[in-house]
Amino acid sequence: MRKIAIVGSPNVGKSVIFNNLTGSYADVSNYPGTTVEVSRGKCRIGEEDFEVIDTPGMYSLLPISEEEKVGRSILLDENPCLLLHVVDAKNIERMLSMTLQLLEAGLPVLLVLNVFDEAQALGIDIDTAHLEKELKVPAVKTVGTKGAGMDILRGKIEEHVKRFC
Amino acid sequence: MLRDFVKNIGYDDPLEICLSELEALLQYNYRISKRSAALLLLQEDPEMFELVRKNEAERAEKIFSIIEKIKPHYSYPLAYIISERRQREASRIAAAVTTVGKKGSLGIKEALSRAMMNPFIGGPILLAVMYYGLYKFVGNFGAGVVVDFLEDKVFDQHLNPVFIDVVNRFVPYPVLRDLIAGDYGILTLGFRYAFAIVLPIVATFFFAFAIIEDSGYLPRLAMLVDQIFKKIGLSGRAVIPLVLGLGCSTMATMVTRTLPTKRERIIATFLLALAIPCSAQMGVILALLESRPLGLIIWLSVIVGVFMIVGFLASKIMPGELPSFYMEIPPLRFPQPSNVLRKTWSRMKWYFLEVLPLFMLASVLIWVGKITGVFGFLVRLLEHPVRWIGLPSESAVAFLFGFFRRDYGAAGLYDLKTQGLLNGNQLVVACVTLTLFLPCIAQLLMNIKERGMRVGVAMSVFILFFSFGTGWLVYVALNLLGLNL
Repeated sequence: MRKIAIVGSPNVGKSVIFNNLTGSYADVSNYPGTTVEVSRGKCRIGEEDFEVIDTPGMYSLLPISEEEKVGRSILLDENPCLLLHVVDAKNIERMLSMTLQLLEAGLPVLLVLNVFDEAQALGIDIDTAHLEKELKVPAVKTVGTKGAGMDILRGKIEEHVKRFC
Repeated sequence: MLRDFVKNIGYDDPLEICLSELEALLQYNYRISKRSAALLLLQEDPEMFELVRKNEAERAEKIFSIIEKIKPHYSYPLAYIISERRQREASRIAAAVTTVGKKGSLGIKEALSRAMMNPFIGGPILLAVMYYGLYKFVGNFGAGVVVDFLEDKVFDQHLNPVFIDVVNRFVPYPVLRDLIAGDYGILTLGFRYAFAIVLPIVATFFFAFAIIEDSGYLPRLAMLVDQIFKKIGLSGRAVIPLVLGLGCSTMATMVTRTLPTKRERIIATFLLALAIPCSAQMGVILALLESRPLGLIIWLSVIVGVFMIVGFLASKIMPGELPSFYMEIPPLRFPQPSNVLRKTWSRMKWYFLEVLPLFMLASVLIWVGKITGVFGFLVRLLEHPVRWIGLPSESAVAFLFGFFRRDYGAAGLYDLKTQGLLNGNQLVVACVTLTLFLPCIAQLLMNIKERGMRVGVAMSVFILFFSFGTGWLVYVALNLLGLNL
């Protein structure tokens, strides 16, 4: 079964996206760093079943903490066919640095701009098409807690898998 | 799976030259692009160095010397130069794709958020959260109303008589009957305790905790106490297990798994075992000292003092680096009811499945203790220190039971108090000693499970002496000051 890994810094809603995809419940937490243990689940997209891995929060590909080390070894050793890089849409300036790192590494990334409702509340809008062109990878706006954008995410995952896997 | 097209950022010339040299030398498959592997090497990633040393054979030396040669070109560490360049690119892209329109209404949220982290306003907010969340909801409602209902109505009146009846009818041996449905039986004590006392407390606690957690209050609390916690070798992160410990220390001991260093885990486990009373115990102690506000204040100051002093000493004794702590502060959010409920449910389930076997085991241990006479022996042994701290020897039983059920021990004291065997001073001394006294057996087993036999047992021995030592000090101090509480 091919694998999809969810990565991103703590507290951007990785676990919520995970739960939305897999339907099962892992601890949804507001507290940075609670995802010390790695959750795995199954998800069916299109005609295919995937194993979805919820990795511990990491700030960069250069690990400082134990959790980040775990996160990196999942990315490198488990050979996922797609990384969902979940970021906080309010703070993409700070978050994109890690996206760039993942891209430099040649890893297959799909950028998930999560908690988009909070960005909107701040009056922030993001031009997804422009972002996709800049990074040359797909990007989706989501509100994990309300399930918004999940259909588009699934669609883009399916498209990616068809083209590259 | 590597993509064949890679989005590259251009670094400045010396770095780019160095990168292309490195890329040409790296032969092993690192599962990431060669460029990225080279960048990690320049950022001095230890794991990557290890891989190069192992897999690049004679090229390794050349690779390391290239890295050493480039360093003097820069006045900052390369890791800094590289991430700075990357951040500049990130900022450029972010600026290109985002538009900021009118500001939303974040004024109130931001003000509240700052107040929570302010040392002067944050304190009272913390007290309010503790009072309503812990004392009122968990203490009065969970540990009071719900436990009373389950204990008195469901178990005492309906279930226990059935258990006893069934066991009497089908189990021929009195010794075995005791094990299953005696005073401390697996069904009548272990199961009942887990189900009727711990479960309601834990459920209400998890519910309150989930609301607090989902609102984003915890990271702010962590920031508020981080400076104080640093003094005792912990960081703001330890707030979660320690706050949980006020609900049930056994569960909190499990949660110390989330702390990043072994040292922090040991200190937190230790403080949980020593100075954090669980909600069951706190309830009974509050009842004991209810009519003596001064006694309550002394009890609280002693416990807080012990917490700080012992934490401080433990952090001095135990080798290890200072905990590093940086944390992103998420926005305050209104908790989603469905998330709160699901989280409460999944934690309850997880907790219950881990803890129920321990309670059952405790029943078996008590049963063995009674049969072999170890029980009576221990009571006689405990009578000595109990007398040293000025308590009547009858209270030895309460202490021994306190080891099996923390609130049971305190309840034993309550009986003594109503019989008029304890005066004010003795009550305060007893409460202090019992709070510090050994963790309940479930927590002890959890300590051993999480921290290993050696650390778990060493902690318990220390606590045994320390609790009576402190009790003795309080007893002597009260006498010297001529206080009659």
